Amino acid sequence: MRSRTALSLATITVVVLTGCGRSDDGAGGEEQSEEIGAGKASGTIEVWAMGTEGEVLGDFVAGFEEENPDADVEVTAIPWEAAHDKIANAITAGETPDVSLIGTTWMGEFAEAGGLMPTPEGLVDEADFFPGAWESTEVGGTSYGVPWYVETRVLYYRTDLAAKAGWDEAPQTWDELRQFAEDLQTKGGAEHGLSLQPGQTGSWQTMLPFAWSNGASLTNDEGTEYTIDSPEMTEALDHYTSYFADEVSQTRVLDPGELESGFADGVFGSFISGPWHTGLVEDAGVGADQYAVAPLPGPDGAPGTSFVGGGDLAVFEDSDNADSAWKLVQWLSEPETQQAFYDEVGDLPAVQAAWETGELAEDPQLQVFGAQLEEAQSPPAVPTWEQVAAAIDALVEQAAKGTTDPEDAVKQMQSEAASIGTGL
Amino acid sequence: MAAVSTTPTGTGRPVRPRRSRHVDPTRRSQAIAAWVLALPFVVLFLVFTAGPVLASLGMSFTDLRSTDVRDPFAVEVVGLGNYADLVQDPLFLKVTRNTLLYLLLGVPLTMAVALAAAVGLNRVTRLRGFFRVGFYLPVVTSIVAVSVVWKFLLRERGGLLTTAAGWVGLDVPGLLDSTTWALPTLVVMAVWRNFGTLMVVFLAGLQTVPREQLEAAEVDGASAWSRFRHITLPTLRPTLLFGAVITGIGYLQFFEEAFVMTKGGPLDSTRSVTFFTYDQFGFGNYGYAAAASYLLFLAIVLLTFVQFRVLREKD
Amino acid sequence: MATTTEAPPTPTQPDPPGPPRPRRDDDTRTTPRWLYAVLSVGLLVTAVPFAWMLVSSFKPERELRAVPPTFWPEDVTLANYESLFTRLDFPTYFLNSALVAIAVTVGNLVFCSMLGYALAKLDFPGKRVVFGLVLGTLMVPGVVTFVPLFVLTTNIGLTNTLPGMILPFLAGPFGVFLMRQFILSLPDELIQAARVDGAGELRIFVSVILPLCGPALATLGVLTFLTSWNNFLWPLVVATSEDKYTLPVALALYSVGQNATQYGLLLAGAVVVVIPVIAVFLVLQRHIMQGIAMTGIK
Repeated sequence: MRSRTALSLATITVVVLTGCGRSDDGAGGEEQSEEIGAGKASGTIEVWAMGTEGEVLGDFVAGFEEENPDADVEVTAIPWEAAHDKIANAITAGETPDVSLIGTTWMGEFAEAGGLMPTPEGLVDEADFFPGAWESTEVGGTSYGVPWYVETRVLYYRTDLAAKAGWDEAPQTWDELRQFAEDLQTKGGAEHGLSLQPGQTGSWQTMLPFAWSNGASLTNDEGTEYTIDSPEMTEALDHYTSYFADEVSQTRVLDPGELESGFADGVFGSFISGPWHTGLVEDAGVGADQYAVAPLPGPDGAPGTSFVGGGDLAVFEDSDNADSAWKLVQWLSEPETQQAFYDEVGDLPAVQAAWETGELAEDPQLQVFGAQLEEAQSPPAVPTWEQVAAAIDALVEQAAKGTTDPEDAVKQMQSEAASIGTGL
Repeated sequence: MAAVSTTPTGTGRPVRPRRSRHVDPTRRSQAIAAWVLALPFVVLFLVFTAGPVLASLGMSFTDLRSTDVRDPFAVEVVGLGNYADLVQDPLFLKVTRNTLLYLLLGVPLTMAVALAAAVGLNRVTRLRGFFRVGFYLPVVTSIVAVSVVWKFLLRERGGLLTTAAGWVGLDVPGLLDSTTWALPTLVVMAVWRNFGTLMVVFLAGLQTVPREQLEAAEVDGASAWSRFRHITLPTLRPTLLFGAVITGIGYLQFFEEAFVMTKGGPLDSTRSVTFFTYDQFGFGNYGYAAAASYLLFLAIVLLTFVQFRVLREKD
Repeated sequence: MATTTEAPPTPTQPDPPGPPRPRRDDDTRTTPRWLYAVLSVGLLVTAVPFAWMLVSSFKPERELRAVPPTFWPEDVTLANYESLFTRLDFPTYFLNSALVAIAVTVGNLVFCSMLGYALAKLDFPGKRVVFGLVLGTLMVPGVVTFVPLFVLTTNIGLTNTLPGMILPFLAGPFGVFLMRQFILSLPDELIQAARVDGAGELRIFVSVILPLCGPALATLGVLTFLTSWNNFLWPLVVATSEDKYTLPVALALYSVGQNATQYGLLLAGAVVVVIPVIAVFLVLQRHIMQGIAMTGIK
């Protein structure tokens, strides 16, 4: 490992002179790792986890250490801010821990870089997880980790304003959604019926669900080529941007806190966001009986498809205790552990069985998220995704502000994505 | 770097009248002393800077991506390909234009405000330390607090600026949401945030202004402006040059204000070259990002060269 | 650090006769009132965000997210600070930060003034090359050398060590350039006089030049300390275990989440981290304004 890191610095320069060629040995088509041994975990397992997950995990794994007395789990909490850079640098220099929490949209890059180990055969059963969450681990047909926790985007709306506007249940189709938002505005008294993100970083997470719901797919089935330019995509972007054209949604990016306080003050009648917003809107003074969440509507009455994000657990190629590391990952994926972790930090479990009992099975609000998770997708797990996403964000902004019409915007998304490539 | 080493680096000392062929013992001992003094920097430079700079320069001629770092032999050498792509990348051209605007607006404003503050503080006798700390506060205030307060000031609805302008009948739009006004607004914010550093530097420089000369000139009836122009400014010249170079580099590498306030928007109107580079690094396009960095480096070299010319150190 | 305000005695340049030099506070008569007015307005403009940061760190999260923001807290709470201090191992992080920042600051003061003097006042072969390197290093955008520098640091075994956080920043080009420019404006006659007296070159640096560099050293000290103290990304990447985290790294742990930010923690952290910076500024600032006695020259 040393020799490789020693080399990389010099070689970056040397390579200019020697001109070695790019070989095609990417993540695609790699075999899953061999099954892990049957015995108990042992030795030190170094784990990186971000933020709150990192804070509580150290104590949380006591159960694992009890079951595996020879194993010692050492958790290092790292800040979410710059976690991507830290992991990327660690992979570059070969100084990784054994296991890390990985943001779902980083999987493609780290796997293609050769930093992550393919998931061992038979470690977990793919069918136990929400399908969209599992997709986030699959890079070029090989799985490189296990989903740990998930989040998905749903429709938040003010029930009192909706009632005033004559709606006692959530919209079921796009036309209804549009009417619902207009009614919240005209009859419910909201300034903007539905707040959507008018482009800029992360707006694809709100916009793409419309496209997915409409049957659009960003890549072909093999994930080798982008297929963004489709009538379904154009139609979805057209629908999305219509909210801005008619001021049903605001056209500027909101400041932190503005959405929640605006929701509380009735400035915004509804918006689309993830589970963390339940706490935020209630903090902002929205009574629990004043608002509700609902699954995203599809275009024609079928359930809409949302975005699924969250975190995966992956074991690094450079791990010298991979067998035990995978055992820890396996333990964290057991339904009981998942449920216990939800109780501890409130992260939604990626394992469906964990939703069958307790609060997760009974709370109606959580049930909405649970149902939406079954109809949710991840973006393509390709190494270049962040760049493609930025291109989509920029064009969503242009379309939302009316400087590019949706059809041209979609064409440009396709041509930019095609020139960026999948990176596999 | 060649361009830099040929810049006039006048040492401020007169040309020695005697430049004979035999080695002057003073010159020799000076040379030895100078290299002893230079040694720590040079060693640290060779260990920690030279390698990474060369490596990153090499990177800029390849298509290295973050996914190649474990196997750097497997990249293609693209020669000047990244550079050629950059100058044709419409976004890069746009961020270049933005960066030039940041530079042209920001440097004179920051210099002027910092110098005015320093000269003002230098004249004040009471509460001097109080003002000094106060003017330095923006430098140390958390960027998060700064952004919250500035956004509140600039917000379209209910913002202080819009409200105040409304009192005098002006209709000020949301400055940060305007493709025209967002950039100048960020410049004003950057000036506010950064002049404190330069002010401190100028204050130190002002201490070298010979007090006796100022007093003598005052006795001779020279006006305050004339004293400033003919005594203070010339003495301050090296410090001003330093300020101009540092501020120029700062604005050519403009990033943080745009990052927290506008994320480069609206419609990329506040995105800078460094922002672009940061994004490209984030996307994992190390080769392309390095090339963009070195184009920026060239721009900085050029600017510094001009600044050394204009503010030439005189003997 | 030079704290004297007197020039070292130089026998060929005796102090001029006459009344003692006026103290610098003596010229009160020349400070017009309008200047105070202007400066006060300026102070208001520069201090308000800082004041907001300070005051708001005592607000509950709910109030911090209120739009429009409040200035005075409606509910004063210590919760943000309690949360910080109970969740973080403060002494460790503070010590790491202080060690790194102090080492970097001292290193810069020593090494930058050394080279700065050589570049400003000495003649030597390779001078232009060295100055070119200094300026060149100053100009290379840091983001571009980050990855190779990290690979290098790993390679020489400095990851997860404090020296790994210190050494790359021990002699910055900024400091060299600053010191060079400042020393340039000191009169050559001082040095020539000392040479005539037979002082060696290094001796001249230590006992003639350094004592006059108080303002520049204080300035460099303040600026270097601030930069090093606030450095976030490098210590984060170099430290692979929490016991090597510096304060800014630790403070970022729980304030910024994957999808939401805890503004209370963020602001309380910002206040905690700014206190030492202000302290250093307060200690060093009087030296920035230290009058340099160069009586009798020119």
